Amino acid sequence: MTLASSLAPATPRVGFTSHPWVRFGVRRLGRLLVSLWVLVTASFLMIHLIPGDPVRAALGPTAPAALVKSKRAEMGLDDPILVQYWHYFQHLFTGDLGTSLVSRLPVSDIVSQRLPATLQLALLAFLVAVAVAVPVGVLVGVLTRRGHGRRTELTFTTGSVVLGTIPDFLIGVGLVYVFGVNLQYLPVAGNETADAYILPVLSLAIGPAAIMSRIVRVEMVSVLQADFIRTARAKRLPSLNIYLGHALPNALTASLTLGGLFLSAMVAGTVLVENVFAWPGLGSAIVSSILNKDYQVVQAIVLIYGSGVLLVNTSVDVALALLDPRSTIRED
Amino acid sequence: MSTRTANPVTSSELRFEDVTVRYGGARRSFTAVDGVSLTVPQGAVVGLVGESGCGKSTLARAAVGLAPLHSGQILLGGEPVPHRGRRRPLQMVFQDPYSSLDPRMSIGESIAEAIPPGMSRAERRAEVERLLELVHLDPGRSRVLPSALSGGQRQRVALARALAGQPQVVIADEITSALDVSIQGAVLNLVRELQRELGLSMLFISHNLAVVRYVASHVAVMYQGRIVEQGPVAEVLVDPQHDYTRELLAAVPGARSTPPTPRSTP
Amino acid sequence: MRRWMRVLRTPLGLAATVLTVGVLVLAVVAPMLWSDEADAVDTSNILAGPSGDHWAGTDNLGRDIFFRTLVATRLSVELALAATAIAVVAGLILGGASFLLGRRSGRIVSAGINIAVAFPGILLALFFAVIFGVGATGAVLAIGFAGAPTMGRLTQTLVASVEARDYVAAARVAGVGRVRILVRHVLPNIAEPLVVNATIGAGGALLSFAGLSFLGLGVQQPKYDWGRLLFDGVGSIYVNPAAALAPGIAVLLAGLAFNLFGESVATSLGLSSAAGVPLRADDEDEGNGSLTTEGQPATSSDDTGSDLVLDVRDLRVTFPGPSGPIRAVRGVTFSVRRGEAVGVVGESGSGKSLTALAVSQLVDDTGRVEASRLELLGTDLRTGGPKAHRHLLGTSLAMVFQDPMTSFNPTRKMGGQLAEVARHHQGMDRKQALARAVDRLRAVRIPDAEKRAKQYPHEFSGGMRQRAMIGMGVMGNPALIVADEPTTALDVTVQQQVLELLRSIREADDVALILISHDVTVVGEVCDRVLVMYAGKIVEDLPAEGLATIAKHPYTRALVAAVPDMDTDLVRPLAVVPGRPVDPSEVPPGCAFAARCPLADDHCREVEPPLATVADGSRVACWHAGEPLALDEGTGELVEAEAR
Repeated sequence: MTLASSLAPATPRVGFTSHPWVRFGVRRLGRLLVSLWVLVTASFLMIHLIPGDPVRAALGPTAPAALVKSKRAEMGLDDPILVQYWHYFQHLFTGDLGTSLVSRLPVSDIVSQRLPATLQLALLAFLVAVAVAVPVGVLVGVLTRRGHGRRTELTFTTGSVVLGTIPDFLIGVGLVYVFGVNLQYLPVAGNETADAYILPVLSLAIGPAAIMSRIVRVEMVSVLQADFIRTARAKRLPSLNIYLGHALPNALTASLTLGGLFLSAMVAGTVLVENVFAWPGLGSAIVSSILNKDYQVVQAIVLIYGSGVLLVNTSVDVALALLDPRSTIRED
Repeated sequence: MSTRTANPVTSSELRFEDVTVRYGGARRSFTAVDGVSLTVPQGAVVGLVGESGCGKSTLARAAVGLAPLHSGQILLGGEPVPHRGRRRPLQMVFQDPYSSLDPRMSIGESIAEAIPPGMSRAERRAEVERLLELVHLDPGRSRVLPSALSGGQRQRVALARALAGQPQVVIADEITSALDVSIQGAVLNLVRELQRELGLSMLFISHNLAVVRYVASHVAVMYQGRIVEQGPVAEVLVDPQHDYTRELLAAVPGARSTPPTPRSTP
Repeated sequence: MRRWMRVLRTPLGLAATVLTVGVLVLAVVAPMLWSDEADAVDTSNILAGPSGDHWAGTDNLGRDIFFRTLVATRLSVELALAATAIAVVAGLILGGASFLLGRRSGRIVSAGINIAVAFPGILLALFFAVIFGVGATGAVLAIGFAGAPTMGRLTQTLVASVEARDYVAAARVAGVGRVRILVRHVLPNIAEPLVVNATIGAGGALLSFAGLSFLGLGVQQPKYDWGRLLFDGVGSIYVNPAAALAPGIAVLLAGLAFNLFGESVATSLGLSSAAGVPLRADDEDEGNGSLTTEGQPATSSDDTGSDLVLDVRDLRVTFPGPSGPIRAVRGVTFSVRRGEAVGVVGESGSGKSLTALAVSQLVDDTGRVEASRLELLGTDLRTGGPKAHRHLLGTSLAMVFQDPMTSFNPTRKMGGQLAEVARHHQGMDRKQALARAVDRLRAVRIPDAEKRAKQYPHEFSGGMRQRAMIGMGVMGNPALIVADEPTTALDVTVQQQVLELLRSIREADDVALILISHDVTVVGEVCDRVLVMYAGKIVEDLPAEGLATIAKHPYTRALVAAVPDMDTDLVRPLAVVPGRPVDPSEVPPGCAFAARCPLADDHCREVEPPLATVADGSRVACWHAGEPLALDEGTGELVEAEAR
């Protein structure tokens, strides 16, 4: 550090718009908007990139040509593409997501009916995963800090890798087999009763919990080797203070980013798990719509899932910035 | 401090004329080098000293084309330093001995890569061996990987690689700062020897005044992007004119007769 | 190649490798052996449960599920590998593009990757599945492109890290073209991590494929992969659960195999061991020998010990190593009096830092610290467990570490970090402790101390952080400050301020100092006495002002002559010590310096010289201590000189 740079204030204060927090907020919001725009464009293009005529494909080869033609006109598929693009945006703003080719219902109704079930599943699973992964990861991290607990590390890593590799739908099928076919103990379809939530949430949560606890452990171990922990030990602080007061906050900030990724991964995981448990959410809807070529429904659900993921990522970034004093200063 | 001498430009004189280098966009620009004028005469070793962040490395990188020039020019033998093409008369040796050689290429290959095109394979191999001998390394070890060499040996390979490009001037950026003390001496002795026997021109960058005093004939002192003082080593280090130079001299361990009066506390 | 073989040494790696090889072999072999059994239709035996003939029962056409599962291996693996290949190639193009295209366009590609990476793979896969259509080809393209952003991001990060290395800069300076740099320098250096990640990616692709087919969007009849079998099997799970379990287990095993294999390779490619000195069988005698003839420290022979702040005798630090215990510190004896400044000089592998850590009881618990005496202010530090002496060490001993940038907790304010010491060891409450912290910050000449105490470490400059570190050390009233390379990372002017601060603290309170450094000139200027360490032992102990004049050990003399200062003779070459500092895991018998010493003879190489007190009070460990040396004008090496 030169003399002058050490004298200069850390953040230049020249007016409101150059305050680092405002700059950060603007940057992040900008990125969110751009990503949303890309998402909307992608979902719009999705239909237009399909080879052939989507309406014909949906209605089948035996449908009368006149019906196909009128449907196309109704969906505005004969307009120039930029006009369609513009109309698409307009419709989005008014909440008009089109009409299902199969059920003739407005897509927005279908979506609003099914969204809560998916959200409940995803959020519950996330909470369960975090509630298990963080304490386990921290504890095992302390037990396996450098040079200690070699055997614990091996067992834990193997266990968490195995559990983390099993895809959620396989866990689901396995649980259906054990509880549905054999024990006949818990419901395996629908979301009618409270205990119908147990198996789907478990299926969705086990894998991410295993992976997350592994990551928390690795972060904890790495933080425990940091120089400032050595300083804390040199201050002869009690171990509990060092682990919880010094190490944990630093390990968590690093794990938080991944936690956010997990939430978005779980949102996506609902697609598969819902199909295993006949869960009446967006996940089961999107699969049947793809198979039925009900493209407007697919479009809408892709949009919802995509926006959900983007919002989660943005919230994680904001939370990180709030927690880590250094992050806003670093402007990328 | 830009002085255009009346003397005719010699064929391998490196000259910085009012060079400015800026980083960052329009709003947050940071001036790393601010109007620097400096000359490395043919056959001389010129030392560039300064502390971290003063811009000396940036100046070096701008010379070899690794950093963009905002204004001013850098001339070699009167012509702007070429930043394209295979013939580069200005070469550089970097600080970190563990990063300056590709860990997957033998040292012979690393050196050969810098040889300008136009030689046959046999000629190239002979040249590599000649260069290895020049830096006092066993030419029979040209197939060795860098991981088998010590830090000092790696720096010597890096020096050989710089010489392979047949440069007129070599820039050495803190080449001994990362080496163990008992090995530093070998590299410094080598620099002096090359200058003596080959007439090698060099811009020797360092934060260590004592080292610069040992290898260079001229020295320039840099602070916050500007050259605050330059001249023959014997003069600048014995009778410094600028406050900062005095402070730098006073801070060198083992050299002071009176305790320093700090200008400011960092 | 050899490093990849290391994978087989761990039980996990071995299992994973065997499993992966098994899956691959099965993929090739199964259809050749069992296609007929897999396709044999038997309508009289539909949806039967497991039996002797059909280990997993039959499906809705009476076909044997077990054999179908085995045969399905090939398609499942092929599709997964194809998708991975697409992902890797697309990722390489994306990642390499940002390198080849230069700044502007590279940033756009980068931004694009960042946006795409935000979306989970399954969403992207569904998106592409809509476009490419349902079926195996569509699914391959879908999963392939869905994996491309992650691979692209990975490639980009790897390329960027290689690009930052000096050898790429050197190639650019030499005029090597961008494409050649990419092929010759970048790709070989990112190949290993890429392959490992591709393997793990293949495992992921396999699982994604199973997922897509399970949804009915992947492989369609009459072809079948594991996912398709699952799709069929789940439909009849109440009638014949084995129909779903068999392919399920197959997917699981194969996915695990690839993932575990990739992970094991990744772990084994990044091994390292702690530095140290290996034990040898005959060291027992050597050890005893050095104990009995070990010279008494010049200062403590008659001291009652009340003047001694630190008394260390035969300190040894041992670490467990891959081939036996590694001894990093091999018997160090010295003492420090009140107010005295002792410097410890050495290069890499000398053990100087570990000596300081051992004295402060801060060595990791994997290392073993032993000494026949280790007393701080008269208290034996060897007794008691880790919690003992907490108060003593927390208040009477201050540590200053090397890297000011990382020595403070980045998420807590400075004031609080200093105050912790007072709250835990001096019984102050929060307010009092903070006030004391501000006072100490002021004492170390940090301007605006109150405001600074509320700031975070990253808002302090390096020099300021070192001062704060010193301030933290003087929260109590230390009798000893141990500073491990405190100014190495600082500029020379800042170094001067910090050293001056240490001096004034010492003067004010008669505080002793142990200063560890590789810089002989710094140590010579600041300290009263200097200990020179080499390969885990003290080789010389002499007063600081005698460094240039009365040093007797060839290593000390070489060190002093190798470092240029402002008075170095410009005519003669600098002293050069041939060879390199000893690798602590490969210390030769006898004197560790013998290989590089101009005075060494056979006796030196066989018997280790003890640290003996000499007439003028200093201590030297050398059989030829004090013999004259000269400088070879040509090479700069020190050589034996003619006796005058």
